[in-house]
Amino acid sequence: MEKPSINELFAVLLARDFHADDRTIMVGANMPMARAAAVMANVTTHPDARISIGLGVQGLGDGGDPPAVHPFLFDPRTMAAEALMFQGRVFDDMHSPDVFFVGGLQVDQRGNLNLFGIPDGEGGWKMRGPGSIALATMSAYCAGYYIVMPSHSTRTFVERVALISALGDATERARLKLPGGGIRMLLSPLGVFDFNDAGDMRLRSMHEGVTLEEVQEATGFELDVPDRVPVTPGPTDEEMQLLRERVDVYGTLA
Amino acid sequence: MSLAGRSSSLTEVDDAISCVVDGATVGIGGAVTAGHPMALVRALARRGVRDLTVVAPTGGIEVDLLIAAGCVSRIVGSYVGIEAVAGVGPVYRSAIESGRVEVVDLDEAHCVAALRAAGQGLPFLPWRGGVGTAFPQLNPTLIEFDDPVRGEPLLAIPAIELDVALIYAEVSDCYGNAQPVGTGHMDALLGSAAKQVVIQVDRVVSTEEIRRNPEKTIYWPGSKVVKAPFGTHPYSNGWMTSDEQHLVDFVAAAKGGDETLSEYLRVHVLEPEDNDAYLETVGIRRISSLLI
Repeated sequence: MEKPSINELFAVLLARDFHADDRTIMVGANMPMARAAAVMANVTTHPDARISIGLGVQGLGDGGDPPAVHPFLFDPRTMAAEALMFQGRVFDDMHSPDVFFVGGLQVDQRGNLNLFGIPDGEGGWKMRGPGSIALATMSAYCAGYYIVMPSHSTRTFVERVALISALGDATERARLKLPGGGIRMLLSPLGVFDFNDAGDMRLRSMHEGVTLEEVQEATGFELDVPDRVPVTPGPTDEEMQLLRERVDVYGTLA
Repeated sequence: MSLAGRSSSLTEVDDAISCVVDGATVGIGGAVTAGHPMALVRALARRGVRDLTVVAPTGGIEVDLLIAAGCVSRIVGSYVGIEAVAGVGPVYRSAIESGRVEVVDLDEAHCVAALRAAGQGLPFLPWRGGVGTAFPQLNPTLIEFDDPVRGEPLLAIPAIELDVALIYAEVSDCYGNAQPVGTGHMDALLGSAAKQVVIQVDRVVSTEEIRRNPEKTIYWPGSKVVKAPFGTHPYSNGWMTSDEQHLVDFVAAAKGGDETLSEYLRVHVLEPEDNDAYLETVGIRRISSLLI
């Protein structure tokens, strides 16, 4: 079978990591790997979970079984659902979402994420991002969230983010009495990360072929590196078959 | 006393958008790649109105087009982009980086709270998401406070009152009883926050048809209804997918520089005199290929 793309690897790693008692998995815009993970889990380990993706809830996509992952979140085919996700009402039910996914322009040692952009220090912008969508709200409330970083370099993994869109710092979250459980796991093209008891980023595993030196050189701060760092267990043939033939039938993640 | 008939809300597009004056605060409905009232937006860009504050809760190229046409001085919202085609709206990005346009950052839930507060006639609504983030620093209208009930840190989200809301619904009757397709995004909130609502529809139907699903009806007194079939293109409605290729072409034009962007605007926005003429620039084969 053809080697998995990075987004296919992300989808499989996310699908494996959901907790047994996750009841509601919610996916935002421009994260097709998270959509695929939610659907994969729904047809295997989490048949009773409520999957909310953009416009629709459960039975998403084009009416297929399972539904397909389309390139765009807000696709009319996602309305072949058993319920709809109303943008004006979704924030009225903040006890519900157990799992959410976020991406960003920058992440820092404490797990804070920036999707605003980089200010120029004079009230303007050196680089402007798309805005923070619902990152601040969802990261404050959901039982746990996953960070997926599409690139890993000293520009994207920084000691302190320029601006905080989603507050990851566990100490600050506790001080501000945020109800949600915080970050569960962080994925990058180089490896899998989590946060140690002090709240600093820790290397959990490295993807096949990646060296510790590469990870450290691409990271703009000192990572917590355990004595032994395993290789990220890659997707099995069964996982890839399920992903490509039943979940991502349009090849959005390829 | 004599019997009287009801007044029609049906309006030609240019008459409908004449309520948008220079310096107005305009809310635009839809979300990401779905349900933006693009026919109204293109007409607005064509008219050359200036100095707008555009409230786009989760915006797409309707924001880019209005900026490119020189209509905008301020953008309020949580996102402007085109999902996988462009992580950031290309014109939006360059206009903000050059300082030509100001951005007022809100979380998506802040948009809901701000519009709801306006509709409810309240000065603000409280919200928790955004506490401990850069929001209050970037957008000083958001005020941190300790809630008087449980003493927890919260943000006051001030009401956003709109002069005009431009939204899309699949159908309406001639009296302004509109029925959105699907979830309707934040459109109903935008309508309730606005002094004047303009609704773009694909079809004008009889009131008998509206009466079959009265629970779907949204209505504001004095709203204007504009018929513009397929008028959400290049974005989806309930039975047409987004036109990914058109969006890719737009992004290429926007990133290509002033000349290619001007050419896109000339061909697709400024020269077509109405929605039908715009659809001719897209072509019937392309439109047909998008129907689900």
